[in-house]
Amino acid sequence: MRRLLLIGVVALAFPAAASAHATLRFTTPAFGTKLQRGPAQIGLHFDQQVKVLPGSIKVLNGVGKQFALPARIEGRTVVADVRPLKLGAYTVRWRAISADSHVVSGVWTFGVRVPAPAVANAYGAGGPTTTEHLVRWLWFLGLALTIGALGLRVICLRGLAVPRELERRIVVAAGLGAVVSLQAGIAAFSLRSEDALQLPFGQFLYGDLSPMAATRFGKAFVVMTLGFALVLALLYLAWLLDRTDLLLPAFVLSLFFAGGLSWSGHDALDPGSSWKTAVADWVHIGAASVWIGGLGTMVGLVWYGAPELRRQAFLNFSRMATVLIALVLGAGTYLSIVRLPHLHDLWTESYGRVLLIKIGLVCFALLWGAFHHFVVAPALERADTGFLTRIGRSLAGESLVGVAVLLVAAVLVDSKPPPRPANAPTVQAVR
Amino acid sequence: MLPHAEMVHWAFAAGILLVGLCLLSEAIVGQEVWQMRPWRKYLWPGIAFGMGVLLWPVMAFFTNSSIHMYAHGSWAEVLMLAGGAELGLVRGRLHSPLWRLTWPLAFAVTGIAFIVHEQNPWFFARSAFLHHLLGWTFLLGALIPLALAWRPRSAALQTCFALTIVAVSVMLFTDRDVAPIFGHLSELAGPQHR
Repeated sequence: MRRLLLIGVVALAFPAAASAHATLRFTTPAFGTKLQRGPAQIGLHFDQQVKVLPGSIKVLNGVGKQFALPARIEGRTVVADVRPLKLGAYTVRWRAISADSHVVSGVWTFGVRVPAPAVANAYGAGGPTTTEHLVRWLWFLGLALTIGALGLRVICLRGLAVPRELERRIVVAAGLGAVVSLQAGIAAFSLRSEDALQLPFGQFLYGDLSPMAATRFGKAFVVMTLGFALVLALLYLAWLLDRTDLLLPAFVLSLFFAGGLSWSGHDALDPGSSWKTAVADWVHIGAASVWIGGLGTMVGLVWYGAPELRRQAFLNFSRMATVLIALVLGAGTYLSIVRLPHLHDLWTESYGRVLLIKIGLVCFALLWGAFHHFVVAPALERADTGFLTRIGRSLAGESLVGVAVLLVAAVLVDSKPPPRPANAPTVQAVR
Repeated sequence: MLPHAEMVHWAFAAGILLVGLCLLSEAIVGQEVWQMRPWRKYLWPGIAFGMGVLLWPVMAFFTNSSIHMYAHGSWAEVLMLAGGAELGLVRGRLHSPLWRLTWPLAFAVTGIAFIVHEQNPWFFARSAFLHHLLGWTFLLGALIPLALAWRPRSAALQTCFALTIVAVSVMLFTDRDVAPIFGHLSELAGPQHR
């Protein structure tokens, strides 16, 4: 133990004995540019002198063919001449030794007479892994907890005499969701960058993430991070000052900033997307978050924490859930039609098969919800304590199905929808 | 367009100086006199919490390396936690004095993050030297709030705590991107500027 402590202290005291960190200031051509003809040179401009390695700069086309000649140093710039490039998308992968042997690395893309691909789609990037699915699931859970807990409080419990302790617990639950959202967002951004950079973790720590931050996903990450930090601050002030009026802006902001996922996902970027698909995706995510998060909060906090509110909370939530389910189904059906134009895509494409599982789970949750709405709600007036306890367990079961829906949704968001068929010729064109 | 790194350091140095001066004033005049105006007890914990919130944009916008992003993110979190816990205690929302242990935690996390994310040697340039010095000041300084958690009325410990924070702000004010330290500047760092 003492030896470990000593090693830790020495490592902290002399961390730079084997490393010094150079930072990339800018590149030529710049990240993500569309060029009219291939560049004659690639340039990396650093804040300090660096040394080149074999293969310091690689310019790769869509099938991995390398076009860069050996790199050389010009002051604080690493330069490599490039063979003539044809029309297409290209990936630049670079690495250099900065002071005292530390390797810094990065990746960016450009296009010759075509738009540059997103850096997450750079040549060599492998796509989402199981870890990325799990992190996205955590992200969804965090969003659902924040939005759902706040939605339950500001919509279903509005006007009711909410005990102070329950009030605090709801705020703490929403705050916990915001913290999970922030952490999961950082992890998701890191994993996506790690995949694009294709580096082992030790080198990834010193990898340049600027090109990833410039993508739609990177911008959404920045906006959502700032938004949820603000939501967290509002929730903290609501808890500290006993100000329930701060919960409404926190709810609106969290719902608004959850749109970052829609703004950077398939429904905003893939061919066939429009502002309508992005809005539909946002409505889908928002309504599902209020539904699943609200249900979980009602079971976890209201059902056992404030038994006197159970009946009224249940009835109010049941009414709200009807609207939410209509929104989830409406937006989801529209998006499915846009993404999968043919019915057989549902079982022939991997995206369609994941969607089928999600639809199955949603139907299961809907049937469960319908039982609560049409059978349980009318019986609540004459219900005894034992009945209410059993209903609590049933609601917990419905919430767990909702959590499973979010897991499948995470896999679905990370999956690639099938390419859209080419547009059929118009009548005028045929004539 | 992002501001230069040292300008961000200076902005946070101003906030930290304010916190340090409040703490020093409280240590000199005593808690009873300091809290004669009710708002004063919320002043420095509020500034600390606010700086934690403001560190999130720093985390999100400065992505020139993963390790910088994680360092800034960890500061944002521990500063919000420690400032928030202190506000909760003075407001009467929290009662356990163990919440004051969030300050030594914040100091320790901040110190380690400073040292780990600065990858240049001590005498590489002024900013590298100050990052190492700040890291060790925070790490060793964590002992002071740790002791304060058990001896909250100790004027000597309160003064030490305040002076440590003032010293941290002075270090941040003297931080510049590429500038010599004791007349030395590594040729690898490039020419002095600004």
